[in-house]
Amino acid sequence: MALHNIGATISDKLNTGVLIVDLEFNIVEWNRFLQVHANKTPDEVIGQSNFAVFPELPKKWFSRKLSSVVQLRTQNFCSWEQRHHLFELPHTRQITTDSHFMAQNCTFLPIESEDGELTHICILIEDATDVCHYQSKLGKALEELALSNRIDGLTQIFNRKHWEECLAKEFSRARRYSHGIALIMFDLDHFKLLNDNHGHQCGDAVLIEVAKKVKSLLRICDLFGRYGGEEFAVILPETDLSGAKDVASRIRQSIDEIVIKFQDENIRISASVGVAMITENDKHYEDLIHNSDVALYRAKDAGRNIVCVANESEDCFL
Amino acid sequence: MSSLNLNEDQQDCLQEIINVAMGQASDQLARYLDTFVYLKVPNIEQVSAQSLSMTLNPDEQAVAVVSQGFFGFEGIRGEALLMYQPKDSDRLADLLGYEPEEQSVEEQIIDLSSILTTTFLNVFATQINNQMSYSAPRLLSSSKTTISEHIEQQAYNWDLALKVKISYQVTDYSFNCDMILLIPESAIINIKTVIDRILEEY
Repeated sequence: MALHNIGATISDKLNTGVLIVDLEFNIVEWNRFLQVHANKTPDEVIGQSNFAVFPELPKKWFSRKLSSVVQLRTQNFCSWEQRHHLFELPHTRQITTDSHFMAQNCTFLPIESEDGELTHICILIEDATDVCHYQSKLGKALEELALSNRIDGLTQIFNRKHWEECLAKEFSRARRYSHGIALIMFDLDHFKLLNDNHGHQCGDAVLIEVAKKVKSLLRICDLFGRYGGEEFAVILPETDLSGAKDVASRIRQSIDEIVIKFQDENIRISASVGVAMITENDKHYEDLIHNSDVALYRAKDAGRNIVCVANESEDCFL
Repeated sequence: MSSLNLNEDQQDCLQEIINVAMGQASDQLARYLDTFVYLKVPNIEQVSAQSLSMTLNPDEQAVAVVSQGFFGFEGIRGEALLMYQPKDSDRLADLLGYEPEEQSVEEQIIDLSSILTTTFLNVFATQINNQMSYSAPRLLSSSKTTISEHIEQQAYNWDLALKVKISYQVTDYSFNCDMILLIPESAIINIKTVIDRILEEY
């Protein structure tokens, strides 16, 4: 074989598309990879405008991209990570991935003649479908991992760790901008007794139902978490005392109305609720937790199924 | 370690080659971007892997770091890092001549990085009778963390590198970014050979 043919032979063996266009973006040459994947005959392609053969190309963008290659005489790139594909081509994992078109890494190369004049642009098209597929699977897995790191498995609301991080953030924001922030903590009454009498499966069903019911009462910006076993907590950003009292009262009431059917028995439950507003004395978010916790235990002492407000010694209500 | 240090003549020579390359690169960029591009006097120093993040304005917020490898004849190779701060990326599409909806911010940043890196290094390569090839530019990270956090996330298998920092300014678009060329230990000796040859020819 003549030596000058080897280059062309190798070009046709490559698993990379090679497309050569002139400075008017007319196609001068292509290799077998592109011919096979585009499923077009040379007659339909050679000498034709790049945009006529591949109408899917974003014309303005493509022209500007190539103008940087021409003017700066330097190569330019386009990655599947920012633009999934330029050319609508099929790929080799049609069966085992859900990708419709071949994900591509494209390289644009200036081609100069022997006397140093820029005459053509070579476009290399690499199939990145495989990488793209695994990268998006990895991304999905990381997303799920991040979510499960924030969520309590049983009740599907925030877990203690994430909830406390939210509180730290909201607390410092409220302090910085002198906004109101309220904290409601509530504890299910005689929950241990319920577990002892009906079993832990019954207790779990109650926790799930309570979380679901309370979640439906809250605004999108409220942050609801499971603080401990049967203790829950709600952060109410940008909320004043009367608003917080109102929410606390509705929480107590709606839990009181819950009836759970468990093994043909109607299970009822109630909750004691403590409310605290941020005050000038609260320097750390833990102060807010402490204050609502104290209010919560006053509610327990006052006979349960009641709401108490921190720093308002006589103010307990239904 | 001392054999890796550039002596005064070598340092001056490299500085001069870079200065000339910067002049030509800024001229080419100005014509392509249709606005003045200023490149500040480069800063050349030897850095260790441990101290790299310290030398990169560790407290500054970086909206993005883009990496692009370069390699030429005679063992000249290295990695270019382009560093952007949040305020830099507002008018990139405008600067590059794209419609804002044509390109995501990430794509604009990568596009500009590649243009700045390859334009400068092509001219630089010509100055030392070389020719550069490049890997595709990659966004290392685009979250709003400090630059040193970006860098510390990476694990290294090198001890020393030659660091060349060039700052770009496009005043009409109030745009700034830093290009940091890092030439690893194994390639420093090669660049010294090239510099020595140029010094002899003078």
